[in-house]
Amino acid sequence: MMVDVKLETILSKVQKPGRYIGNEWNCCLKEHDQVSLRMVLAFPDLYEVGMSNQGVKILYDSVNKDQDLLMERVFAPAVDMEEQLRLAGYPLFALESGKPLRAFDLIGFSLQYELSYTNVINMLDLAGIPLYSDQRSRDYPLIIGGGPCCFNPEPLAPFFDLFLLGESEEALPRLLKAVITHNQRGLAKQNILIELSNLKGVYVPSFYSPEYYSGSFSGLQKLEKQAPGSVEKNYVADLDSAPYPTAPLVPYIQTAHDRAVIEIFRGCSRGCRFCQAGYIFKPVRRRSAAKIAETARDLIASTGYDELSLSSLSSSDYPAIDELIKKVDEALIGKGVRCSLPSLRLDSYSVNLAENLHQGRRSSLTFAPEAATERLRKVIGKRISEAQIYRTLNDAVTAGWNGFKLYFMIGLPTEEERDVEAIAELCRELRRHFKRQGRPGIRFSVSVANFVPKAHSPFQWESQLRMPALISRQQLLIERFKKMPWVEFSWHDVETSFLEAVFARGDRRLAPLLEKAWQLGCRFDGWSENFSYSRWQQAFKELSIDPENYANHKFSYDDPLPWEHLNCGVEKELLICEHRLAFNGQFEKDVRNN
Amino acid sequence: MRLLQRALRRSGLPLAYSQGYNPRLRLVLALPLPLGVTAGREFGELYLTEIVDLDYFVSSLSAQLPAGLRLVGASAVAAESPSLASLVVANRYRARLKLSEGKLVKPALIESAAIKLMAKEEILMPRSGKKKKHISCTNVRPYIFELQLNLDQGADPVLVMLLKAGSDGGVSPFFLLHKLAECEPDSGSETWQWLVERESLYMISNGALVPLAEGV
Ligand code: SF4
Repeated sequence: MMVDVKLETILSKVQKPGRYIGNEWNCCLKEHDQVSLRMVLAFPDLYEVGMSNQGVKILYDSVNKDQDLLMERVFAPAVDMEEQLRLAGYPLFALESGKPLRAFDLIGFSLQYELSYTNVINMLDLAGIPLYSDQRSRDYPLIIGGGPCCFNPEPLAPFFDLFLLGESEEALPRLLKAVITHNQRGLAKQNILIELSNLKGVYVPSFYSPEYYSGSFSGLQKLEKQAPGSVEKNYVADLDSAPYPTAPLVPYIQTAHDRAVIEIFRGCSRGCRFCQAGYIFKPVRRRSAAKIAETARDLIASTGYDELSLSSLSSSDYPAIDELIKKVDEALIGKGVRCSLPSLRLDSYSVNLAENLHQGRRSSLTFAPEAATERLRKVIGKRISEAQIYRTLNDAVTAGWNGFKLYFMIGLPTEEERDVEAIAELCRELRRHFKRQGRPGIRFSVSVANFVPKAHSPFQWESQLRMPALISRQQLLIERFKKMPWVEFSWHDVETSFLEAVFARGDRRLAPLLEKAWQLGCRFDGWSENFSYSRWQQAFKELSIDPENYANHKFSYDDPLPWEHLNCGVEKELLICEHRLAFNGQFEKDVRNN
Repeated sequence: MRLLQRALRRSGLPLAYSQGYNPRLRLVLALPLPLGVTAGREFGELYLTEIVDLDYFVSSLSAQLPAGLRLVGASAVAAESPSLASLVVANRYRARLKLSEGKLVKPALIESAAIKLMAKEEILMPRSGKKKKHISCTNVRPYIFELQLNLDQGADPVLVMLLKAGSDGGVSPFFLLHKLAECEPDSGSETWQWLVERESLYMISNGALVPLAEGV
């Protein structure tokens, strides 16, 4: 984009101006008057985070492929940039053309994380756009949302004109085309929304009104008779024919994941009971090895990256992955590219795979047992036995690794203190075990997250463990690990997890709260340097909302849930069944077989 | 560097890689830029696996370079000729004094600082040895081959420095600018901010210092 004098002055006063000027390799520049519809993809977090998101790159490609459509990008301005923009009265602008957001027909927010919600509000405000849907006439851009948080977008509902549920690389261009048609017919905003609500995956929140009975959500009333009673998600039926960017944007400034990415399959068949992703991305679909190899070749040729990540939720679950790696290797031979395979399952097979990929390199290997006792793993649906953990790490150590990164969660349903203690115990036992085997000095990096109950997972009815209890369990681990200097221990902030739980199962009464928190200065709540819990506490107090009623609330099966009208394709009966099995400590049969 | 590596990979040229796991492009820049210095013109060496036509090389790579980066020229050398890095003996920096808004610096002040700096017989630069505790000092005064101050009316003051470089010792332009400010204490000189650009690298040719572009 071209930088005018005013913007240049602004940029000279901020850190990392490279975040705001676009012009990346493979960036798509189109004239605004040469297309019928202009959209901005808005990512409510920093450039470095947004540009590491594969969804951004996929949508950018799938929309811009269409001659008649244009998609530009905007990311949340960092705190220093916001200050300068406000000082100069300069409206938030899109990276490609530098045009203010208001000059677009549609703004689509990518909703990946609950703690970016205040950034959404802030970006609307910086763009000079009224926050609430009912305050915006047709002259303003349509404000739409997509991404995993749309499976319970209720806390954001009044700010948005519509949400697009599920995978959008095929559905979004379809939606945009429909907007063009209805615009040309000169329909009023309300009528455009009615028409759009007939499209699969479109959820227009203003067509539904929530009801509350003695302080609890008691159901949703449909206000617009043409709107569907239940909104069904979109998903891509065949990954091989779905659009995938072979010439993705290559940023100039370093981003979180700065490499070429090819998604080898989507969805996950493991069905861990705390995991929302496992349920909302069903069914499991895979890209063929031939297609992956072909895409890998194109990706490297167009980007010049030296690393290729074969990504998915659980990469070792790709059938015949050895074959796949062989094919990809062949396609990239002599190009100096190394492959990486994230999200490995805890088994010997995976160690083998990692070994093939990392020939010779011996850094650390990452696994996620999530819970340290077999009992608790059964509850949460992680199918790994103690013996399997030992066998896997044994294999890895034999193959030459001497460090492991292990992910756990605390605050899980039925968890007791001894389950938490077992995390430290497991590390100690493993270390001892390897010492006996003549391999002393094995190191661990242990990361412990706090359980957050998520909508559409079997644990959606569960409550989050209360904050003081979570803190004392963290404290217990801190104490234990103090005596184990060979463990690098890290943990998640409890207050952040608490807010995440509030919004993950929140309802529309939280919308004014978000606005209030934003007014009080909340931004980038997912970043510890910006997060201020006291501001949130003040917001809750001023609006007389008790956040514990959300985070620590246990729903019963009969309770209406604020997100139940949004259908991710998994029957409630299945979730109930899984939830019941959890407490019997049984596994469901692998959903792959269904 | 990252930009250049990616551009090279996109170019489709027959690039040579180092052996082993984690293959690296065989690309070496003549002398890495000190942190905070912008580059005027840089030199590098690249190995290819086969001989390619120079025009083809220039056009293939140029097509992949982002705006702001331009390939000035290329020449082929025998693989066994001495490395660029071993040829470089000096580099020239251009430091522009950034005048922060409203604040004026008297040119005479900079001038007198420069004279005082050059009049010194010794300018000691601390250098931490292998063991952290052991700090030795090097006299870097002889490393200043030339220092020239341009005080044009209406333009920011500019200091051009020709400094020794190479594996047997060199000095950072920022260190000297810091020393320069120290020559005029209590004058506000500690707030001077310089934008430093490296203009060119120098080698010895027929006993004289010549810019790398002419010598190679
Ligand atoms: S393996 Fe479990 S936690 Fe991981 S994506 Fe699949 S269901 Fe979720």
